[in-house]
Parts: sequence; structure tokens; C-alpha cells
Amino acid sequence: MQIQIQNVVPVPLKDKFSKRASDVWNKQVSFSKGEWIKIVAPSGTGKTTLMSILYKQRHDYEGAVKWENIDLKNITGDDLASLRQHKVSVIFQDLRLFENLTARENIELNRVLQKPFYEAGKIDDMTEALGITHVLNQRAGVCSYGEQQRIAILRALVQPFEWLIMDEPFSHLDIANTNKAAALIAEECKKRNAGFVLTDLDEDNLFPYTKTYRL
Amino acid sequence: MLNQLLKKIIRTGVGPGRFIMAATGLTIAMLLILSAVQIQINYNELLYGKNNQDSIANFLVVNKVIDGNKRENVLSKEDLDKLKKQPFIEKVGLLTASRFKVSAQSPSDNFPFYTDLFFESVPDEFIDVTSTDWKWEAGSTTIPLIIPNQFLDLYNFGFAPSQNLAQLTQSMVMTLPIVLNVTFQGQPIRFTGKVVGFSDRISSVLVPQNFLKMANKQFGSQQGEMKPSRIVIRTNDPGNPELVKYLKDNEMVTDADKTRFSQYRKIVNTVVSASWVTGAVMLLFALLVFSLFIQLTIASTKNEINLLITIGTSPGQLQRFLMKQFLPANIVITFVCLAIVAVLQFLLQAFFQKQNMYVDRIVSPYTLAAAIIILVVLWIVNYTTIKKYIRQTEK
Repeated sequence: MQIQIQNVVPVPLKDKFSKRASDVWNKQVSFSKGEWIKIVAPSGTGKTTLMSILYKQRHDYEGAVKWENIDLKNITGDDLASLRQHKVSVIFQDLRLFENLTARENIELNRVLQKPFYEAGKIDDMTEALGITHVLNQRAGVCSYGEQQRIAILRALVQPFEWLIMDEPFSHLDIANTNKAAALIAEECKKRNAGFVLTDLDEDNLFPYTKTYRL
Repeated sequence: MLNQLLKKIIRTGVGPGRFIMAATGLTIAMLLILSAVQIQINYNELLYGKNNQDSIANFLVVNKVIDGNKRENVLSKEDLDKLKKQPFIEKVGLLTASRFKVSAQSPSDNFPFYTDLFFESVPDEFIDVTSTDWKWEAGSTTIPLIIPNQFLDLYNFGFAPSQNLAQLTQSMVMTLPIVLNVTFQGQPIRFTGKVVGFSDRISSVLVPQNFLKMANKQFGSQQGEMKPSRIVIRTNDPGNPELVKYLKDNEMVTDADKTRFSQYRKIVNTVVSASWVTGAVMLLFALLVFSLFIQLTIASTKNEINLLITIGTSPGQLQRFLMKQFLPANIVITFVCLAIVAVLQFLLQAFFQKQNMYVDRIVSPYTLAAAIIILVVLWIVNYTTIKKYIRQTEK
């Protein structure tokens, strides 16, 4: 599925964004199926805004975002849910776990929301890989940020997807954990022939990116 | 599994206390309205049901109010036509009176009595006596008579004891030949009367219609069309307040006993109607409370629902889940209320049976239908409320 970003400019601070030179804002950008995209976005360039627009969390923009040629603004209700269940997965910068559910339950929710991509046991394999097995039965609300972020990453990886949207996914992890997480993400994306869009503050060598943009 | 997780996420919003309150309100309202339906059915059954029909009660003898200033108080043709048109009147029978002098006396000295008498006649269908002897052939001097039971009572408990005479049974009276003397042009013309039956309905000495017609023509002092002073009406409901009002408005009266109940009926009607209104109002109220409850649950877990939608829960999934939370309670409440009404009906039937009144032992199908309709309404209210507020949260 192709993603097209056509002359998108967020309405708040419209002036600021149209004056700045950007690879993405107010430009025609296209991500093809399976591409691994990096968007380098220093603070204040609208990184989270872009991610929110892409995932249809925000609607206050001009221009169009198209998923497989359909304007995102026209995808609603059950269709939008289907998109999020089967085609697009997300890791939020602010994590957004259900605080009253345990780590396992948070991940499990995404697994059973649609016809499961993996069986239940797979969660344990993945938590082992990232070293958070010990918090599986702990309420997400009392886990540390690092643990929560890894839970959020796993939550995004247990469902089917063609695109993975990631907004600063390693901000709370040390280098060792970052590498483990990146390896797991790469593995899961290869398995599905999926592409991803990853935004972060600086450049990095975590993945063999297909394209890099500066926001 | 998904439902368990959703339950854990959304449950935290509203405590069980509020749910119990909403459920209680709905139970009370539904009980009221189902009872109202069942009461209405019972009421109709008591009034009109076949088992409660009383053949006496449906016939009333009606006459014009006696106005002392008029010589005759009769019902004109207009009066009759107007009366026949009324919806509570099924049939009208005219009571024709004799227009000649006639007397009755006993043939032997064992039961000495003599009295001046009168006759009336009415179409056979209005008489509550069936007898093969109730016919008169032209030329016969034997005339069958039907007298009121009240006359026999008057004789047995009034006349006989005071005159030291023996009391008579119905069958004894029917064997007695009665000498009837019609005075015509100064001369007595003799007939023999035979009592063939006793009426509880018409307080008169009845003779067959064809006889009276002949006799009036032959012996009658006044000729021409006689206006009836009394009529018998057949009605399906003598206690009907409208009937009573009509009679009153048109200066007609009838046996007070049978219409007295119209007063009570008015009151009962009001009470039964009131129970309807109360039930309906309470149900509306309960529906409102329940939908507010749903709204509250959704609103208090707004953030959780938002997040659920964000990670991909479809509105359909959420709606189905919420319906599963609310609808079963509604169904249970409906069945519980039906069960309670059924038990009450069972007890009511036993109670009425002792009073010789009959109502159904099981709840009427109308009550069942009402319960199903209410359930459908609840379903619709649940569905639309959930849909509306999920949609709002989506924004």
C-alpha cells in the first residue's frame, strides 16, 4: 500500500511551516510499499504533528494524505478501524498504554483485536527478546518508562501490518536495548514485507533506510 | 478474550451502585406497565367475559320519567329512533299494554282471590322464559301467562300469611287455572289463564303478542297506534356510564339497581386508566434513566474509549461490546417482571374464584406482547444511545 503526502501543511502555525524549507511539509512525498523511511526531525519541526496526521489523529491540516489513493479524510468508522487493525501499526511517542491493564494484557489486546496474526505464546518469546518478561503481570501504569516503551513496541509488533509508524520509539532505552528493539522491528517488518516510517531527532544507523527525509 | 479485556478497561468507569439503581428503576417501571396491561385485560374479562355474563343484567326495562302533569308519559317515535341509534343499545322491544278492563279470579274457593288486572306483551326474544306453551291460537279461550317471580314472592310472603292462605310453589301456580274476565260493552267475556313461566326480567303480566293485538283491536277502548310507555332494551353493558347518562338526559329511567354500578364503574375506569398513565410515565422515565446511565458509562470512560479507537477498535466492536453489557440486564428484568405478574395473576385468579368471578389463570398474550414491545424499545434505546455517544467520542 502506498502512502502519499501531498502538500500537507498543519493549519496551526501555518506561516512557520510554509516559510521553512522542509522535505515533507508542503511537498509531494510518496512512500512505496515496503520502503523503510527515516525522517530526521529536530525539536519543533512538527514531528509528532506529522505522525498524528499520518495516523489520522489530527485533522487540522491543508493538503491531502492518501493511503492507497484514498484520501485519509474519507476513511472513517469501521473502515478506519480495519485499516488500523490490519494495515497500519503505530508506536506513539507518549506510549499510550492502558494503565490499568497489565503488560501482557496491553499487548494481548492488539493481538486479539482482529484475527490473530500470532498465537498467544509469541508474546512470551518477544518479551524475552526485549528483556521485559518480569513485568508481564504488572500493571502498565507502574512500569518504568523504559519498560513501558518496550511494551508499546511489542504491542505494535503482534498485529498484521503493511506500515509501521514510529515516533521516537527508543527515547527511553539505553543503547543495548535500542539495538535489541531495532533488531526485532527489522525482523518483524521483513517477515511481513512491511515498510516503516520512523521519526527521530537525529540521524542514526539502526536500519538500512531506503530513504531519509529532513522535516 | 477481547471482551474480557474490554470489560476490564471500561468497567472502571461506573460503579455497580449506579447500575443497580438504574436496573431497579427499570424493574419498577416495567412491573407497573405490565400490571396495567394485565389489569385492563382482567377488567375487560370481568365485565364482558363469557363466563361472567348474566342474562338478566343485559336487559333493562326503560320508561319515561313520570311527569304528574301529563296524562300519559309515552315514548314518541323520535325518542325510539334516537334510542335505537345509540351504540350501547343492541335491540329495543316495545311493551304494549292492554287497552281494556280485565280481571282475574280463582276458580275455586280454596284460594279465594280477585283482582283487576292488566296485560302487557313484548316480542318473544325479550322474554327470559322459554316454554312450549307460550303460544295462543286465534279462537282459543286459554291464554298463557308469564308473571314476575316478584308477584309470587309478594303472594307467598305478603298476601298468603296475612290472609292465612297456603303458600304456593311455582309448579303449583302453573297448574292453577285462572278465570279471566274481559269487560266489553258492559259484558264480561270469559277466558282461562294459565301461568306457563316466571320472569325475573319484566315486571308485568305478559300475554302472547298476537293475543293482545287481537284483544286490543276487539275490546280496546282507544284505537289507533298506541305509543309505548315502557320498552325493553338489550344492551351489552348495563353499567355503561354512557347509557346511564343518555337515559338521564332523555328523561328515561330504569331499574335503578342494574345501573347503580355505573357509578362504581366510572371510578374503576378512572383507576384503571390512571394505572396505564402511571405505568407509561414511569416507563418513559426508566428509559431515560437507563439511557443516561449508558451515556454516563461512556462519558466516564471517554479516554479509554478514545484510546481503544486509536489503536484500532472499530465502533462496531465497541457497540457490540457495550450492548452485551447492558442488554442482558434488560432481558433479565423483563423476564423477572413477567414472572412476577404471572404469579400475581395466579393468586388473583384464586381470589376471584372465591367470589364467583372469573379471570384467566395465566397472563394474557397481550401482556406478553407488551413485554416484548418494551424489550424491543429498550434494545433500540440502548443501540441508538451507544451509537450516538461512541460517535461523539470518536471526534
